Amino acid sequence: MTPPPSPFSHWLNKRLPFLRPLHQHFSRFPMPPVNGWWTLGACLIAIVLLMGASGLFLALNYTPDIQQAFSSIETIERRVPSGWLIRSLHMGGATVFFAALYLHIGRGLWYGSYKAPRELVWLSGLLLMVLFMTTAFAGYVLPWGQMSYWGATVITHAIEAIPALGKPLVTFLLGGNDLGTVALHRLFVLHFTLGFIVLAIIGLHVLCLHGVGSSNPTADSPTPITTTRPFHSDYSIKDGLAVCGVLIIYAILIFFLPDWLEKTSNLIPADPLKTPSDITPEWYLAPFYAMLRAVPSRLGGLIIAATSIIILFALPWLDQSPRHNATYRPTIRVGMTLAFMAFLTLGIAGLHTPSTIWLWLSRLSLIVWFSVFLLILPLTARHERLSPKGDHS
Amino acid sequence: MRSMILIVGFFWGGLFTITPAIADTAEQRGLFVFQHVCSACHGMEQAHYGDMAALTSSLPALQEWSKQHQANLESPIASPYPSIAVGKAANGGDFPPDLSHIARTIRGGTPYIEAILQDYHAPPPGMTLAAHAYYNPTALTHHHRFRMPPPLHDNMLIYPDGTKATVPQMAHDVTAFLQWSNDSHRKTRSIIGSCVLLYLVIMGGLLLALKKTTWSH
Repeated sequence: MTPPPSPFSHWLNKRLPFLRPLHQHFSRFPMPPVNGWWTLGACLIAIVLLMGASGLFLALNYTPDIQQAFSSIETIERRVPSGWLIRSLHMGGATVFFAALYLHIGRGLWYGSYKAPRELVWLSGLLLMVLFMTTAFAGYVLPWGQMSYWGATVITHAIEAIPALGKPLVTFLLGGNDLGTVALHRLFVLHFTLGFIVLAIIGLHVLCLHGVGSSNPTADSPTPITTTRPFHSDYSIKDGLAVCGVLIIYAILIFFLPDWLEKTSNLIPADPLKTPSDITPEWYLAPFYAMLRAVPSRLGGLIIAATSIIILFALPWLDQSPRHNATYRPTIRVGMTLAFMAFLTLGIAGLHTPSTIWLWLSRLSLIVWFSVFLLILPLTARHERLSPKGDHS
Repeated sequence: MRSMILIVGFFWGGLFTITPAIADTAEQRGLFVFQHVCSACHGMEQAHYGDMAALTSSLPALQEWSKQHQANLESPIASPYPSIAVGKAANGGDFPPDLSHIARTIRGGTPYIEAILQDYHAPPPGMTLAAHAYYNPTALTHHHRFRMPPPLHDNMLIYPDGTKATVPQMAHDVTAFLQWSNDSHRKTRSIIGSCVLLYLVIMGGLLLALKKTTWSH
């Protein structure tokens, strides 16, 4: 079936002998009958590459100095040839990326992709999520608009809440008592460097996956499908189609809805003396912002927000049931739906001014989030381990 | 030399900056109003004098305009006031805001700008106005006691394209210009965006067909 190798690939294979097995591994990689949700990984890689490429060109024209940062962004927007296009690719990329990322993680939760033997895939993926959130935060500060400055202030204040360590830590990290050129320069280097670090960890994430293969969403169904299809070209074309679909959404956002992507107040240069009337984070960090606000104590908010992510790292051990797919686990189906709704509610709450109703909705969502992962999931898993497969009561 | 660089730059970037240089658009007339009226008090710091080349076909005129402000084509269109304090003192306590992104950042957006420029009236009976205050029922600041003197008057300008310079006409034009300054690539963006979408839709169709044939066996 395979065509004879060309002289060049023969030459190359003699010098890099691992290339052929690698190529064969990827092309013949057996894929279980996964559904459309499994194409999100490929979409994320496509967006991350676009972000990296556009980011390089932005970095060439950006000046990390509090006097010049804002106008260097304006120069990119107004005078650098195609600068506006490159910047909107980068800004819009963040939104599309996090949308796809949360769906990707949601898929992992629903279909139990975190379970043995895929713990390392799950853990490397969660590490990536934390790094992406850090990268996005650092990147958002760089234009040095009002929301950049005040968003960064909210985060430094949150870190300051750590007893004893907080203040010295913030001073150490910022290189001074407040957000100045030193801090901005550091955030720029952090943002730039993390871009390459995440690329390496994405490699690790894919490597972890390719050792054990994708999980089979039909495994727990009454009629499991065990036949596999080769990754190439069955799933590579399917991934390509999904990437194309995501790019269409991406293009609509950056070309036709650009005002959605950039907050009005970030078009005003940062002014440490003038607090904007409402400080709202980017939507993808809004759920965690809502968690910070939901707890009356600053330290408590920080702990809750951090714990909400840490418990996800523990998931492979909290849920040791042999069943994966929430569709065939009645309690988990309800639980996961509730957890997703809680995350969504927190996101919406984070974008609103913290009125009583939003504060209590945030608190309710936090209770749901923690009880699903710390109570419902472990208890159901225990019950499922004890009862034979197929008995759903 | 500078204008050479600008001209070369203009043609180099031409592919991505399709601008109607010949047509007399509202934006172009708005630039005229800005040059002769608004810029007497307001800056447009984020834009350079040279950026206006996208709206005017005459570079020497732009150069001349920049020279009048002791600047050149690469200088930002700075506020005419040497400091915030001087600007405030000259305008009853309110500094004339920078206009770079005013179309987006002002509450009410462009409809507000267009309305406020036309809505100066004599104060209603019983209302007293301090110095540097002008009655403007549209204005959201200082309870309609607006601090910007009425900037536009019928026939105060003679438009190069012959359009009659009425207050509503000038208000409309300068608003279009401020909208352009806030988002100067709007037209190019929608053209490129349409091409990109068309490309992606065709590619998506081809991929869909390919997927169907691959998965059918």
